[in-house]
Amino acid sequence: MIDAMDKIAGLSPDDVVFKARRFRPEFVEGAEMCRLSVLTPAAGLGLEAALRIALAQRIAALNGDQILIADYGTQLSALEPAVQLLALAQGATDLDEPLAAIARHVDMVTLTPSKAAASDISRLTEAGLNNPQIVALSELIAFVNFQTRVATGLRLMRSA
Amino acid sequence: MISSIRLKPLTWHPYIAPVELSEATSEQLDAMKVTPSAKKVSEYVRTLVHDPESYVARTVLFNAIMYVDGGLARPDRELGALGASLVNGCTFCAVTHARRHAELTKSNDLVTALYCDRPDTLGARDTAIYRFARRLSGTPSQATEDDIASLRSVGMDDVEIIDLIHAISIFGWANRLMHVLGHADSGK
Repeated sequence: MIDAMDKIAGLSPDDVVFKARRFRPEFVEGAEMCRLSVLTPAAGLGLEAALRIALAQRIAALNGDQILIADYGTQLSALEPAVQLLALAQGATDLDEPLAAIARHVDMVTLTPSKAAASDISRLTEAGLNNPQIVALSELIAFVNFQTRVATGLRLMRSA
Repeated sequence: MISSIRLKPLTWHPYIAPVELSEATSEQLDAMKVTPSAKKVSEYVRTLVHDPESYVARTVLFNAIMYVDGGLARPDRELGALGASLVNGCTFCAVTHARRHAELTKSNDLVTALYCDRPDTLGARDTAIYRFARRLSGTPSQATEDDIASLRSVGMDDVEIIDLIHAISIFGWANRLMHVLGHADSGK
């Protein structure tokens, strides 16, 4: 069976890399559990699914991952998102709060994590996010950065 | 000859208040696998367990990637983790995994070379792994098919390369938690 990672990596069951990936069922199942836990968790902690998927699309774009951008774009469209969330997904910065503060944070952590400072977390708090939301947002940002790298690596293996 | 570097462990401190065990929900306690009577759970665990679902899923995956039997040798996974952590500027993860590499190999040579900015002194296998770790960690990734070819040329098979991709990528995740949600110092 093809999972979300195979789909974005372009792997089909007859690929050598698809089979090699199954040597590690822990990674296959683990990555899928992680994906669900950050994108569609049972407890959303006040961060709705459309916001999470819009952010994932934005992060995919910062990573220049065209396949992942399209994948999240399709998922977002299915949720009929508000105009502001569509703009957020497409990289806009002129957004209402707290989306503007969230977008700024997402861009910084994705592009230049080395520059993160205590003041960046304070900005999120000032924008109205509570501690569980700050952690959930951090995990979402970090997951998509993980996801695009695994997919990139698998694509390179397939074509090398 | 560069004198050998032995890194001292760092302590991590969160920017936000961790969950207090006395106030934790049953789901959070279950995620931490602790009972209310437990005294010592790290600040790192208590910070991330603000979101118990992602905490459990990520911890299970992280442990599999770094510790599962067979496949890529443990020091090579640590080198992947270290390369990512240096690119992402996560001092805490870099020092932690540099120390683990030194423990596993019983040598400070690789850590010394990297902390003295002399990656050119690494052997062929370490060079291929370190270079791929750095390039895959860029945003966007700078890794190419040539990097995969380099890994194959030093004898790595597909399972080992998949293990390495995961070790590097999971630090694209972990670094963005540790360096964003807190800071490290040499105090206790």
